[in-house]
Amino acid sequence: MARASTTSDVFNAVGDANRRAILDLLLTGEKAVGAIVGQISLPQPQVSTHLRVLGDVGLVRSRAEGRRRLYCLAPEQLRPLRDWVSSYERAINDRLDRMEDYLVELQRQGGHSDT
Amino acid sequence: MTPDRHGSAVITFPNELEVVISRKFDAPIALVFDVLTKPEHVTRWGATAPDRMTECSIDLRVGGSYRSSFVVSDGTVFSISGTYLEVEPPVRTVETWHFNCWPDVEAVETMELHERDAVTTFTWRLAFSDQAGRDRMTEFDGQQDSLDEMGEILASLLGSS
Repeated sequence: MARASTTSDVFNAVGDANRRAILDLLLTGEKAVGAIVGQISLPQPQVSTHLRVLGDVGLVRSRAEGRRRLYCLAPEQLRPLRDWVSSYERAINDRLDRMEDYLVELQRQGGHSDT
Repeated sequence: MTPDRHGSAVITFPNELEVVISRKFDAPIALVFDVLTKPEHVTRWGATAPDRMTECSIDLRVGGSYRSSFVVSDGTVFSISGTYLEVEPPVRTVETWHFNCWPDVEAVETMELHERDAVTTFTWRLAFSDQAGRDRMTEFDGQQDSLDEMGEILASLLGSS
């Protein structure tokens, strides 16, 4: 939600199932475009576009090796995502913790007077 | 003995359109219902400092409306509002749910309470009218299991630190 605004690019980048599939493939190691195309059912231009998006937000790094370009994960850039998942859970629990504290306070006061 | 319930909410995505959160409270069901549905109570716990709750109106009857507004530290105003579809104190309310930041998203919120052995389970369910709406809730999550999937990826990449 609003908490994610400063890192929305990373969220955008992994908001696509094909890009997540590419990230999954790169988990097993550095790969050339051709190797990625061979393992997911997408034409090379689309894979290249996805790799560019992932590169733009820093999730994937590339280097030239001869005439090929090899792509690998830059896992440190996934940290904002992990932080977001845990902050989402934490935000919900914070709110419910306050509700619980308030319930405890009400009951200590000897029940609540209604209406 | 009072079991510590802090931080124990269970968050699930039972299908493509819903988010469900449940949490147990050591309090009688009638009190939990009041704390959830009476403005004088909601304003006491509804906002996280430094955010402030600036509006809380609840007309708790079928066809009645509710609205909660918050101001966060940078001055942005967030509002949640809707109309009650079902009201069954102290066990259940069903209401439409509109979030001002997501004007295109339609959802129905259900709040259910169940008491057993002096423990009240609160279940909050948000059902979106289409998957695009639910995806707004989880942002990057385009599939039912992709939170888990991302969790696995993250765990393998970053360890459990």
